[in-house]
Amino acid sequence: MDNYIKDRKVDSNEWMPFTGLEDSDSLPTGDIYVPLEEWLNARETLLTRNGRLGVALRNTDDPAIIKDDLERLDLVVLEFPKMADGRAFTQARLLRERYGFKGEIRATGDVLYDQLFYMQRCGMNGFELRDDQNASNSLKAFEEMTVTYQPASDEELPLWRRNK
Amino acid sequence: MALQVYTASLLKEGLVAYLALDNGRPSWTTDIHQATVSNDDALETLKSAAEQSEQDNIVVAPYAIDVFQTENGIVATTKREQIRAAGPTIALPQGNIRESREAA
Amino acid sequence: MYQYSEQDHQLLLERVSQFRGQVARRLKGELSEEEFKHQRLRNGLYLQLHAYMLRVAIPYGLLSSEQMRTLAHIARKYDKGYGHFSTRQNIQYNWPKLEDVPDILDDLAKVEMHAIQTSGNCIRNTTSDPLAGVARDEIEDPRPYCELIRQWSTFHPEFNFLPRKFKIAVSGATQDRAAVAVHDIGLRLVKSKTSDEIGFEVYVGGGLGRTPMLGKVIRAFLPKQDMLTYLEAILRVYNMLGRRDNIYKARIKILVHETGEEKFRELVEAEWEKIKAGGLYLKEEDFNWVKGFFNDPEYDILPDQDADFENLMLSNADFARWVDKNIELHKQSGYRIVYLSLKTAHQPPGDVTADQMDAIADLADKYSLGHIRTTHRQNLVLSDVQLKDLPVLWEELKALDLATPNYNHVTDIISCPGLDYCALATARSIPISQAITARFDDYDFINDLGDVSINISGCINACGHHHVANIGILGVNKKGTEVYQLTLGGSAREDAAIGKIIGPAFEADEIVDAVSKVLSVYLENREDPEETFLTAYRRLGPALFKERLYG
Repeated sequence: MDNYIKDRKVDSNEWMPFTGLEDSDSLPTGDIYVPLEEWLNARETLLTRNGRLGVALRNTDDPAIIKDDLERLDLVVLEFPKMADGRAFTQARLLRERYGFKGEIRATGDVLYDQLFYMQRCGMNGFELRDDQNASNSLKAFEEMTVTYQPASDEELPLWRRNK
Repeated sequence: MALQVYTASLLKEGLVAYLALDNGRPSWTTDIHQATVSNDDALETLKSAAEQSEQDNIVVAPYAIDVFQTENGIVATTKREQIRAAGPTIALPQGNIRESREAA
Repeated sequence: MYQYSEQDHQLLLERVSQFRGQVARRLKGELSEEEFKHQRLRNGLYLQLHAYMLRVAIPYGLLSSEQMRTLAHIARKYDKGYGHFSTRQNIQYNWPKLEDVPDILDDLAKVEMHAIQTSGNCIRNTTSDPLAGVARDEIEDPRPYCELIRQWSTFHPEFNFLPRKFKIAVSGATQDRAAVAVHDIGLRLVKSKTSDEIGFEVYVGGGLGRTPMLGKVIRAFLPKQDMLTYLEAILRVYNMLGRRDNIYKARIKILVHETGEEKFRELVEAEWEKIKAGGLYLKEEDFNWVKGFFNDPEYDILPDQDADFENLMLSNADFARWVDKNIELHKQSGYRIVYLSLKTAHQPPGDVTADQMDAIADLADKYSLGHIRTTHRQNLVLSDVQLKDLPVLWEELKALDLATPNYNHVTDIISCPGLDYCALATARSIPISQAITARFDDYDFINDLGDVSINISGCINACGHHHVANIGILGVNKKGTEVYQLTLGGSAREDAAIGKIIGPAFEADEIVDAVSKVLSVYLENREDPEETFLTAYRRLGPALFKERLYG
């Protein structure tokens, strides 16, 4: 059962994770995302398919590795192995702000209501919530704070400059 | 024979509390002398009751501690647990008033 | 003092509302303790040995009298009638109930106060010089910069789940009263060597705890316009590369140490290159705006002497002692800085009752333009007192037990709460501080010893800052007994140094004698009464002290 939010709405997840490219005889169809390693190994092959493509980064991967591919991708999947592990916040900001990624940046793993607001500010717009979370009840998380102090993916300037 | 009681923090008040079982019914008291003492055999019963209380959101992080039975009542074996049971060893500001604890 | 805008208020209210929701979900069991812990920590709420502990932020140590009255009200209404001023200029309450905390936060919000990010693996309160804006050795007031850092770091979406806590300190004077060398990031305002421009010397990777280290100068001169972009670069490098496998190796000091200072600098500078022209680049208009909250008050034009003051100095030895120890010269003629010593024989160091807080608020209004500062040595400051008011202020402070003449002297002891309060502690610290205070309860002795610091930590986490005391005491647990290790030669000032363990630990009933012996060795061997303990120790080395302690 999907527990998935996209662009502040409960949505159904159209994407399939896929691994094991070398073992399969034919390429899968549909919207798929692959781990970074497989992308780097089989980029050209993957690009010949129909269907959208995404890449999943570990939270130790530098997003710069895929910066030149971002126009060909519709999805980058980031992970929160534990809610306290906040590396993906940086990855998301770099993808969105530095490398100009326009597709979906998706948070997966230990994704709870209480971090959604920060995740969104960092440029994530897709959220696979943890199983015990309720997607509809979580939508209000995006509105919890109406004031933000510092620049992020959603604001270029700090609060004190925006008032001028 | 090692004697033990179960202790935890009350979720709402944060106060130190001890598990008392009365005919199997659990309650949590801030008075260590009213805790239910068990030896190794009966510890499982205390443990399940404590964990149930955690599930029921009455207490946080229950654990077992070693105690002595003395003529003055139950005394914890470690300094830390003695301080938890009796409160800070120094006078609190406000003219040396050490407030007594009520049972939970 | 910074004044909240509508938006600042809005933010606080939203945060309290958010936390109220989280508390409700926790009490109903919809949020597990594991998850709730992350949220409550970011609202400054710990679960300690006896009860919850709430740490309220006092940004860069500055309080208005109105805020102090609210702190008194909270102590009275929700706690046991007192609060504790911490080594990071904050205040701690030891007995709040969880269900009351949202109400406490609401009361705080009314006076522009909060407990945001005073715990958890996020950027904590930025601390500073308690004499900011009034010190004679000030290069520039650090508080406007602290306020910018405060806003930048509050609810920073990228840096709220760091590998570990993050502490920043800013100093604006030639003397360092903010201990910048032992912070994760320390900023010292300095003049450029080539122009009149003012910027920052940037230290990264200082810290105490299990592995005390002094910060490394990552950047000798950072123009002030680049302050926030540079901080952002450092935090980003830390967020991505800081260790997350071991909480004892997760602070930025470990990252700097393991990466190497040079390589670490390269990483920061490389990241900074990419963001330095971004939205956080500070402009003249930003500085003018924030500095506008910290303009000098309308000082009266006064001579720097007063007949009544002088007469009292001559006729009253107690008054003279208090002036000698607890009064500091002020940049403005006719004014003085007054230290309120929270180190008496009658209360734990740094503790203040609700009644005292209310009285201090009144004194601030009457004598010090309505402001109070907190210090990292757990004392308070009235920063703008007229010289001619000192006699009458002294009487009032004495009545409140806030006039002990010991500032920066041997009984001005820093003590963490220790095993009497803290769930992390291995030994008690407050009783040791009280025993030392009782032993050295002699003004002439205190005076003769001069400037010397004793800091006590009740566990290896070093919240009592024992590593950077001239005489540091660390309480540990040895087979169920509390024992105390002595370190000598530390300093938290601009000559920062980590103290060295002098030898085997002492039992609780031996440690005061040990301290006494150390002080005797100093008195016997100093070159002259002007040579401070620290200078003498640095000259003599540990040998004589070791010999006296252990034979």
